Amino acid sequence: MIRKYIALLRMKYIEMLAYRLATLVWMTGAIVQPLITMAVWMNIDPSQSDAFLFYFMAVIFVERMTSAWDVWELDREIREGTFSNYIIRPLHPIHWAIAENVVYKVLFVAILAPIWAIAALFVPALRFDVTGGQALLFLAAVLLGAALRFLLSYICGLLGFWITKVTAVYGVLEAISLFLSGRIAPLSMLPPMLQQWSVFLPFRYMIGFPIDIVTGAANGHDMLQGFAIASIWVAVFIIALRWIWIAGLKKNQAVGG
Amino acid sequence: MRRYVRIFREFFRACFVEELEYRSEFLGNLVSSFFGIGIAILTVNIFFYQTDQLGGWAYADVLVLLGVFNTLRGMIDFALRPNMPRLLEHVRRGTLDYILTKPVDSMFYVSFRHLVFWRLIDVLLGLGVIGYGLMVKRYIPSLFDVLIFLITIAASFVLIYSLWMMLMTTSFWVIRIDDLSFIFDSFFETARFPVGMYRGWMRVVLTYVLPAAVITNMPALSLLGKWNMATALIAVSLALVFLWLARRFWRFALRFYTSASS
Repeated sequence: MIRKYIALLRMKYIEMLAYRLATLVWMTGAIVQPLITMAVWMNIDPSQSDAFLFYFMAVIFVERMTSAWDVWELDREIREGTFSNYIIRPLHPIHWAIAENVVYKVLFVAILAPIWAIAALFVPALRFDVTGGQALLFLAAVLLGAALRFLLSYICGLLGFWITKVTAVYGVLEAISLFLSGRIAPLSMLPPMLQQWSVFLPFRYMIGFPIDIVTGAANGHDMLQGFAIASIWVAVFIIALRWIWIAGLKKNQAVGG
Repeated sequence: MRRYVRIFREFFRACFVEELEYRSEFLGNLVSSFFGIGIAILTVNIFFYQTDQLGGWAYADVLVLLGVFNTLRGMIDFALRPNMPRLLEHVRRGTLDYILTKPVDSMFYVSFRHLVFWRLIDVLLGLGVIGYGLMVKRYIPSLFDVLIFLITIAASFVLIYSLWMMLMTTSFWVIRIDDLSFIFDSFFETARFPVGMYRGWMRVVLTYVLPAAVITNMPALSLLGKWNMATALIAVSLALVFLWLARRFWRFALRFYTSASS
């Protein structure tokens, strides 16, 4: 298994190099919306500017780390029938996707972490002070978030066996997550009802939760509860994924070929 | 000119027939358009949950602005967006030859050949939101307001078209990226809110370099009766300048087109 993964990672790494310009351009595309939202909040409450700056920079970072694009790939591959190439191989296709995610996210860290470090030299608002434990929890939360988003996106992609508009379904989920994940605003700024919802739905754990850990907005109880709920969602998603995969293969009728 | 109107009508008809083959998707598209505008309004509501003005604009004003934004975006998705990937494809495969040899202006052809009709729903929804915003504000625009609004929004569309065209023209050089439209989207997103909201160099860039201020704020302000002749004239002349630039750039880029081996 480890040897297979090394081979997959190498392959995906070479693929990524071929598309490095596209990757960079996509990355810049992903930072605009948080920046605009940040400008809005700074305008609403100028006295909190530094906190907003930190929060939304963290949103950009965490969003990149947990981003998932598999639904678009799967949608295309299933529709065009090229997904069959993966199905007949002895390794579950999800491993290709996992390897790809690992490679890209390592690249994102390699780009974003130094930028953050250099920016923090000049902008005091970006400096943060965390204990070792907090840092570990943050990493764990980011991993959980990445797993959640990846699984959700992959599940949606597999729905392509039945329906042709899976990207639209995923778009709806993304739009909901815009509010509940903390991308539009720090969750504490939302109306109380949305805050309540966000605790129990998976979206908050994809972006907002790790940031709350670093900024100290989440206390011990919140963290415990958060990790528990996020883990439950991961388990639910894994079960759903397995089930949909098996049912989907029966349904699959490679179009085109 | 008449000939081009006729050709456009023909594009319109051809795409309409094409679209009718996918009638069953209409409902889904309708739902997704409503959903999109609902999300946008909800976002504005979330901001106004914490404040009562955004860059000097009240809630109703921002709604009108959002309506203008949605209308313009609907127009882009209707006429411009479907053509972007196709031009990239033409350049990559060398099939642009077929367009260049047609007795039609090539820039006109590549930007309007493909239309996506259901996106006009977004235009209607945008107009609806404008109306709703005006209702919340209890403001009935005068005839002059509406006139200036029509002029400035037309100028906005020309501006958008020019910026879009310039971006599309870069496909003669950057053929590796499947879709460049999101670069434009990123910029256009900034036009969703009042420019007064941005600070420092951002405001300067958005007012003078990438004129988001002109594109959405000006029509919205006109409709709210806060226009003056000078700014309207600036908008129109800016649009014409950008159109000229886009035209020049297209001509310039065509010289670099070497066709693919066929």
